[in-house]
Amino acid sequence: MKRTFASLFILAVIAPSLAFATPVKKMKPNVAPLPIEEAAEPAPPNDLFEPVNRATFALNDGIDALIVNPLVAVWNGIVPSFVRTGVGNFFNNLDDIYVGANHLLQGNGSRAAVDFQRVAVNTTIGIVGLVDVGAKMGLNKVDGDFGQTLGVWGVPTGPYLILPLIGPSTVRETAGRTVRIATDPRTYMDAVPSYSLMGLEYLQTRADAKANEGLIAASSLDRYVFVRNLYLQKRSLMVKAGLEASKSRQAAK
Amino acid sequence: MCFRQWIRPFAGIVAFLAALVLSHAYADAPSPDELVRKLAAEMTSAVRSDPDLQNPGSVKISDFVQKNIVPRFDFERITQIAMGRNWAKANPAEQKQIVAEFSKLLTRTYSNAIATLKDLDVEVKSTRVVAPNADVTVKTQMIGRPQPVAIDYSLINGPGGWRVYDVSVEGISLAAAYRDEFAGLVAQSGVSGLIDALKKKNGG
Repeated sequence: MKRTFASLFILAVIAPSLAFATPVKKMKPNVAPLPIEEAAEPAPPNDLFEPVNRATFALNDGIDALIVNPLVAVWNGIVPSFVRTGVGNFFNNLDDIYVGANHLLQGNGSRAAVDFQRVAVNTTIGIVGLVDVGAKMGLNKVDGDFGQTLGVWGVPTGPYLILPLIGPSTVRETAGRTVRIATDPRTYMDAVPSYSLMGLEYLQTRADAKANEGLIAASSLDRYVFVRNLYLQKRSLMVKAGLEASKSRQAAK
Repeated sequence: MCFRQWIRPFAGIVAFLAALVLSHAYADAPSPDELVRKLAAEMTSAVRSDPDLQNPGSVKISDFVQKNIVPRFDFERITQIAMGRNWAKANPAEQKQIVAEFSKLLTRTYSNAIATLKDLDVEVKSTRVVAPNADVTVKTQMIGRPQPVAIDYSLINGPGGWRVYDVSVEGISLAAAYRDEFAGLVAQSGVSGLIDALKKKNGG
């Protein structure tokens, strides 16, 4: 999730700049600007627990300032970038197993095949996932998780939630996350390797998201609302993509 | 008589010239996707060849953005999308103020990001026509990061030529991202509350 935010806002801005560097000759202008359709106005977000969420959001900010940000600074400061990339790739490779499993559960076998090919290539040629060889072969990583699968199955998101340490979620996504944790081998390891691996993944994820978090803070008027909007847009897009994949398969049958 | 004989070839020349100018203008007016492709190439090469543009704090960046990028954005339409129904609640003077402050916020926050263009490239994938010659979405992919990022530009053809009125990153709309914030502020403290919040954010 955080990874996605990672590509998000920086690029959102650069890209327009890229695109329109020089003044261009006009085409035949149309008479009046097209009206903005009111129908496109979405329903307000379901944030039943907003007061509690805002308190947890503030708590997370406090934990970030006290513990996470200094750790991220050390991590980015002393660990060479190729090691950080390797660590990110390693956890992405483990994640791809779950992504593939979820695409299977969503009935999207062709995408699951790509996910599992990635795992096969990256685990072997990519040295236990440290190098993302798959991406270089044109097998790109996509997101996928059990929360999305539940959405594809028709389970509504339920109210928005802010989880301690983790951040934005919803009732459905929290259920998905619980299943993920229950099926994660790390949950059943001894305490030391288990917490080290989980801690490392957490640190890497947070370090990755740092630049975007800064951009979000700089561009938002009410950061809580801004983050909620981005998170819910992202989750609904994931479910929509899953549903479209299953629809196009039915049409093909 | 004499005049008519004279005017005929002249009219022919005028018609010919007009046709020439028109066809020339037509050839010169690129389709939005060609526009995005051409400008992306120009922009990345500008950043690559000028070290000042790679330095996030540089004054040159804001000049560059003001001159080359801001004119290509339809900030009024972006603001209208972000405000939704509340746009009609603001009087024309307030609308003008909101557009000015919001465009300042967007320009200020995102200007420094152009430095990262040094290592990135934009590929135009396809164009979706919403309304012919009036409203299109150009789908692009930003490459040069571990994962390609899908970025879509929505453009509208108005008196100022084609201008961007929304940018989506991996499907997430920038204009829509502000909707809940704007709606919340208007519900809480009215249109003037929104203006105050924008001004405060801009440090004014």
